[in-house]
Amino acid sequence: MKKTLLATAATFMATSAMADVNIGNPMAMTGPIPDLNAPIAAAVDLAAQNVNDQGGMFADGETLNIVRADSACDPTAAVDAVTKLINVNSVSAIVGPVCSGATIAQAESVSIPAGVVTLSVSASSPAITNMEDGTDLVFRAAASDAYQGVALAELALANGFDEIAVSYANDDYNAAIAEVFVQAYTDLGGTVTANEAHEPNKASYRSEVATIGATSDNLALFSYYGSGGITLMRNALETGAFTNFIGADGMLSDELIEQIGAENLMTSTFTTSASDDSTPSFAAWKAIADEAGVPASDPFVANGYDATFMMALAIEAAGSDDRAVIAESLRAIATAPGEVILPGEWAKAKEILAAGGEINYEGAAGNQDFDENGDVAGNFSKSTIVDGAWAAELIQ
Amino acid sequence: MWDAFGFEFVNFYLIPGLVLGCIYALGAIGITLTFGILRFANFAHGEVMMSGAYIAWTIMALVGAAGIALHPLVALPFAAIFVIGLFLLCDRWFYKPFRKADTIKIVIASFGVMLIIRSAVQALWGPNQITFVPGIARPNAWLQSVTGDAGMMILMPNKHLWIFAGTILLVVALSYLLNRTRTGKAMRAVSDSPDLAHVTGINVETVIKATWIVGGICATAAGVFLVMDTQTLETTMGFRMLLPMFAAAILGGIGKPYGAVFGGLVIGLAEELSAYPWIGDTPLLSPGYKTGVAFAIMVVMLIVRPQGLFKGRSF
Amino acid sequence: MEAYLGYFLYLLSLLTVGGIYAIFALGLNVQWGFAGLFNAGIVGFVAVGAYVYALLTTAESTFHIGGFGLPLPVGMAIAMAMAALIAGLIGLVCIRLRSDYLAIATIGIAEIIKLIFKNETDITNGPRGINKIPRAWEHFSEERFYSSAPMSWIATPEQWVAFFDSLPNWYWQPLFAGTILLVVFIIYKMLERARTSPWGRMMTAIRENEPASRAAGKDVTKRRIEAFVIGAAIMGLGGALFAQHLRLIEPTNTFDPSKVTFLVWVMLIAGGSGNNRGAILGAFLIWTIWSASELLIAGMIDVISAVFSTLDPSILATRAGFLRMMLIGILMQVILQRYPGGILPEVRPASPKAEKTVAGATGETK
Repeated sequence: MKKTLLATAATFMATSAMADVNIGNPMAMTGPIPDLNAPIAAAVDLAAQNVNDQGGMFADGETLNIVRADSACDPTAAVDAVTKLINVNSVSAIVGPVCSGATIAQAESVSIPAGVVTLSVSASSPAITNMEDGTDLVFRAAASDAYQGVALAELALANGFDEIAVSYANDDYNAAIAEVFVQAYTDLGGTVTANEAHEPNKASYRSEVATIGATSDNLALFSYYGSGGITLMRNALETGAFTNFIGADGMLSDELIEQIGAENLMTSTFTTSASDDSTPSFAAWKAIADEAGVPASDPFVANGYDATFMMALAIEAAGSDDRAVIAESLRAIATAPGEVILPGEWAKAKEILAAGGEINYEGAAGNQDFDENGDVAGNFSKSTIVDGAWAAELIQ
Repeated sequence: MWDAFGFEFVNFYLIPGLVLGCIYALGAIGITLTFGILRFANFAHGEVMMSGAYIAWTIMALVGAAGIALHPLVALPFAAIFVIGLFLLCDRWFYKPFRKADTIKIVIASFGVMLIIRSAVQALWGPNQITFVPGIARPNAWLQSVTGDAGMMILMPNKHLWIFAGTILLVVALSYLLNRTRTGKAMRAVSDSPDLAHVTGINVETVIKATWIVGGICATAAGVFLVMDTQTLETTMGFRMLLPMFAAAILGGIGKPYGAVFGGLVIGLAEELSAYPWIGDTPLLSPGYKTGVAFAIMVVMLIVRPQGLFKGRSF
Repeated sequence: MEAYLGYFLYLLSLLTVGGIYAIFALGLNVQWGFAGLFNAGIVGFVAVGAYVYALLTTAESTFHIGGFGLPLPVGMAIAMAMAALIAGLIGLVCIRLRSDYLAIATIGIAEIIKLIFKNETDITNGPRGINKIPRAWEHFSEERFYSSAPMSWIATPEQWVAFFDSLPNWYWQPLFAGTILLVVFIIYKMLERARTSPWGRMMTAIRENEPASRAAGKDVTKRRIEAFVIGAAIMGLGGALFAQHLRLIEPTNTFDPSKVTFLVWVMLIAGGSGNNRGAILGAFLIWTIWSASELLIAGMIDVISAVFSTLDPSILATRAGFLRMMLIGILMQVILQRYPGGILPEVRPASPKAEKTVAGATGETK
């Protein structure tokens, strides 16, 4: 039974030609955040499509294949999925997975021991910074919470909130960023009047909202819009417990406007790692995304595009899809010196690389310069409602 | 500082608790009847509830495309027909073969049905959230002014009034069915003692069909009320409601529909009230443990009084 | 050649995870197959084992309590003991509940255990979980192990580094898989002995006819608690190995009841409850199907989108995960209805008298 299955699997896999460049892309297709995941997956596909439309990989125009697998935001599934990607699909590198827990598990359990580079799309946990034990194999295209939490704390004080109540969803992403925020906010002189976790995905948060609502008019909300964030916000608005809302990118989605209504969100501000429209790289990305119908400013969508595009650039610059050379090449294409490459400018980058030149990718979600831990610092923007839609403005 | 209107306990803890309780209660009725009459814990109940809400939304969207805005309560009966069909099909394909077999078989089968229904809904409607009703619901102005004049300002949006009214209507109809009709009496008889009921000539298969029908109507109502309250459709909402509904059924006593209603209200209230600052001004229990309240009540109840508050059947 | 190595390593990973699930299934078999205890809270005992192991064996950390850096076997033994202890406490109050009631109570308790791991952030690092969990064999190449006794007695750190550099980077995989298979084998042998012993026959008697066994003077409650505790200890050991395999555990998604509790039940029922070989076979079979079905469905999408070129493959791909879950659900219904006793149904141990007449027939399965 096992043998037949494996043999059948092998035959099927043979349909994706071996001469092409394969990048593994474990994503949380099922699991707790499939709605957050879907636009990110679309952005990954869009990047690959841009590459293939503009001449493909290497001199002979090989196809860039995204081999998708389901990491389900779950360490077990992620380890299994990445084992298959690395061993059966023989991918050159991993772009993804979405959740921090799944990313750490797959890296420590599979990809680091196998010597394969991981470029995470959205894992923002501070624990990722120091997990590699001397290897240089884990990178991420999203800024660590350590940066965004601080930016948000500064923003809260700049908005004149000298006291604030904090409510965070009890999951890896939101708990981490809430902790950084509370620390930074109190260090900067603000007062946290209440700091409570809430269990994600409950049908009602009225009692939580009422309890912490008695302490302040301002709420710092850390939650995914798709797993309770919208419900909590709606409950808070319905009961009138809070007037001002501030939060991180997990909440920033057009879904929020559609469900709650722009007129009710006039006092809400959310930060996001994406830059604002005034930077050329974000403008380039927005043009590409709008044309393809991908929501450009949803959480981590720009990061998904950047990660895939950078991985393709790194493989192109290395001149081979050999696993061993990718890490070094990834640093080279993402940092100065070199000609600046914006999202979508594959043909231009390919030409420069072919001529032996150097490039520096400036991503949709930030400049994507990796530090020695493979982390990026973020540019952050704040989004508020203008004319019924989210409008972003650079804050750092 | 937030103005609590001096009546915050009722408005922000008691009423939300009762709303949640109504939803749990309706779901628990179906679970307790299935448990009592077919003698197994139906893990697929939450998913059937969820699919009922999706069907109601689809009906509303289809009619809405023709230019008529349909109230969710109007779509409910049509969705219920579909859910009853789903229950009856599941029964024929997946549960009937195990009528005489070990309980574990049918429980595992229901777990499988749960997986099948959820993944079917996810494949058909996609995993993304769907907006049921956009916007936020302000408190009913008339109720607010009338009660405000009396010095006890009650803040309740219309959706909550509909949920209360719908639940009361369904529970009254159910009690008429169980106490006044032949089928209802037969259902109670089978639940109390299947062997005795069989001897007295009650057709057990008919009773089982009736159970699915009653359970289906209540499950659809619970699903639609839930999305009326949260205003959002998601594919995992059924499973999240399942264990609190089990807790409600056990609290009230297996096979006792009134017990299930009571149990549902108690579980709903307990969840919301656990975050009330009873002592000092911090929540009594960290809201992170909110989900655990229902489980804790359930486990304690099973250990202390397994027959439930209303003297249900214990094995 | 490299491609074959890849398949070999994937096969090893199937054996590793399948073996861990086999340990869970064997634990459940003691509880359900032997004693008829409907434990639907497997995930709780697995989580206890995994967390205890992780906290005891990781290097000191600022994220969670301790990181006590104990040797791996000690961590595994204590993980087993803690799972057994907690099962004992639960057993004392819950064991008299019957079938579905015990199931619902254990589900509730497992959820409460998970909530504690999730909310007691100072001890467990809460939802962010514990990482850098040492894995058997692979951990020898970590500095804190080779630079301390007993490894430092054999060679200097520099020699160890040179030695590990000379090995292929997957050297630990066959060893780790082999260790797990060995553990499965040892548990299997012990349970087979228990099953055919007077204790095992008494368990069967209690399961099949409790009043009669009570009348015969057996201490039914005590035997039940014994089975519950032994099963939980095995699950705790499995949990420790699970943590080693994943190297990161966190409370929400790692210990998802539908992927641990439920999957293990499917494995046991499919393989044949009451039959230890059935439990092992079911675990390997179902895990292989679970894991390989992703490759199959991905391949099928390639084929479908090649045939129907107008179809947008990205929609199929986004929803493939759900089709996979549906497939598992349907497969389970088929197994339940087609093989009511499982693939390897239970065979009653012959009484000692019969054993003499039909030599070697014990435990033989058809």
